[in-house]
Amino acid sequence: MHRFFTGLSRLMAILGGSVLTLLILLICVSILGRSLNTILHGPLFDGALSGVAAWLLALGIGPVNGDFELVEAGIAFTIFAFMPLCHITGGHASVEIFTSWLPEKANSLWGMIIEIVFALVMVTIAIKLKDGMYSQIRTGTTTFLLEFPIWWAYALSLLGASVAAVVAVYMACARVVEALTQRVIIPIAEGAEH
Amino acid sequence: MTNLEIGLVSFPALLILIFLRVPIGLAMFVTGAVGLGLVDGRPDIVLAKLKTESFSAFSSYSLSIVPMFLLMGQFSTLGGMSQSLFKAAESWLGHRRGGVAMAAVGACAGFGSICGSSLATAATMGRVALPELRRYGYSGGFASATLAAGGTLGILIPPSIVLVIYAILTEQNIAKLFLAAMIPGLLAAVGYVLVISIYVRLHPDAAGTRPPVPMNERWRALLDVWPVMLIFGSVVGGIYLGWFTPTEGAAVGAFGTGLIAWLNKGLTLKTLAESFVMVARSTAMIFFIVLGAGLFNGFLARTQAPQEISQFVVSQGFSPWAILTIILVFYLVFGCLMDSLSMILLTIPIFFPVIAVLDFGLSMEHLAIWFGILVLIVVEVGLITPPVGMNLFIINAMDRDTPISETYKAVAYFVTSDIVRVILLVLFPAITLFLLPS
Repeated sequence: MHRFFTGLSRLMAILGGSVLTLLILLICVSILGRSLNTILHGPLFDGALSGVAAWLLALGIGPVNGDFELVEAGIAFTIFAFMPLCHITGGHASVEIFTSWLPEKANSLWGMIIEIVFALVMVTIAIKLKDGMYSQIRTGTTTFLLEFPIWWAYALSLLGASVAAVVAVYMACARVVEALTQRVIIPIAEGAEH
Repeated sequence: MTNLEIGLVSFPALLILIFLRVPIGLAMFVTGAVGLGLVDGRPDIVLAKLKTESFSAFSSYSLSIVPMFLLMGQFSTLGGMSQSLFKAAESWLGHRRGGVAMAAVGACAGFGSICGSSLATAATMGRVALPELRRYGYSGGFASATLAAGGTLGILIPPSIVLVIYAILTEQNIAKLFLAAMIPGLLAAVGYVLVISIYVRLHPDAAGTRPPVPMNERWRALLDVWPVMLIFGSVVGGIYLGWFTPTEGAAVGAFGTGLIAWLNKGLTLKTLAESFVMVARSTAMIFFIVLGAGLFNGFLARTQAPQEISQFVVSQGFSPWAILTIILVFYLVFGCLMDSLSMILLTIPIFFPVIAVLDFGLSMEHLAIWFGILVLIVVEVGLITPPVGMNLFIINAMDRDTPISETYKAVAYFVTSDIVRVILLVLFPAITLFLLPS
């Protein structure tokens, strides 16, 4: 069970990372296009080469139209897709030194409560994101340049948010079982990175 | 309760939750949500707000710089740039007394110029330099302390994720903040080198020596670090000269380091997937705090608490310098307990309005940049102070033979140098603002 959810979280992280990589490439292509465009409009191509420049520009060499909008839509998916892995590996930053003197049993009970609240929050975030998506579908809002419906971006994000909610609920259940049976299912991970 | 009272009560409530091990982002999220519900006595507003809150917090063009810089750091590690940096620094400095440790600091500074995260710098340089330091007879505590302190250069020398967050919170120009961080970052490296030379004189048995390297080999080693210089130059230079936006600069940097890592055969499908996993963990942690802080700060703004606090502080007629000192000491103390990004996201919306109305004889923009650099330094000190200095833990985990108490003793010297530097920068704002156009 734990292996399944860890595998799922890793898969989401790799999906998110792939989208991030695509965005990076998109931005680089856009910068390249913009620079070439500037050069083609510049003094270098003023004289005899102006025909070549016009021909190249007609091919559409320039910044990628609406790259900004694609980055915003893609990065939202990436971040949501990254959430499950952070959650399941206990990667969220917290201050642990004041609770370290508590008895083990109190600590595991308190850890359970935190994990339940966390799961409630993640589920709420996912449900509200879904409501937000429906609002976007109803109003039919589109982005400025590419004019794609904003709810597409919401839908992608909802995929990540849903997995994050499922993983959070799984973690809460695991901690409840741990607290009831005093058995460690998921060892508490080491501190977070940043 | 009036709205203001709700706002004021929320601080201790939030702190209690955080000190009770509630993840910081979650604590802010819950406090913010409950607070918002109380302010107008209408919990449904919170739920309505959440329909767009998470998406708009995450679909941010300017914040997309954070995962890109983190990925760039991972690629730099895979590209073997840490080895070539250390080799170059070691060939020039290694034969001196404490020279290998100085080389480690130099290499950390170099790595910091292509990596925006302290922990990644400490981890990467630790793996490269710690075995070398031990081989040449450096004591475990001294070697670990050097690398933990050197790791903080990752964030002090631009690019820096903490500065990106600060810039967004205070609506400052990222390029100018990066530029302003340059001299303080180099001062930090120089300070650490001084600490090393003092330390080895006080503890002669803490460091060994190594034979000098011939001159032609030194130059060759220095030439091998060209990818680092190229990437640093194009990212920070490009952002500063306005060739591209900070986000575009981060994308160029990630692409460039990725390309070099691939050419050096460090980047394979397997290491790429591992990089994604590492970046995912840190990114999600940061953005969950961003989300929680957004909700909490939105709530605070509704209660007018930040404005009231800043008006109260000003009406008391304290000297601006006293207030600045109190804030910096606050960061030093809390930095021992909390991580730097949480602290900045939590406190800047409250402290910055206070600082902004005080008269330090600086223009608004210069004041914001100067304060940002000071905050950057004091929060990073928290990475090398007990009890929860993350850099110390990372290095300690690589060298299990050295008791962490030994590292604590040696790291005190480096913390002293940090504090001396902060005092210098407070007394002479010109050091920070020197490179900025007036």
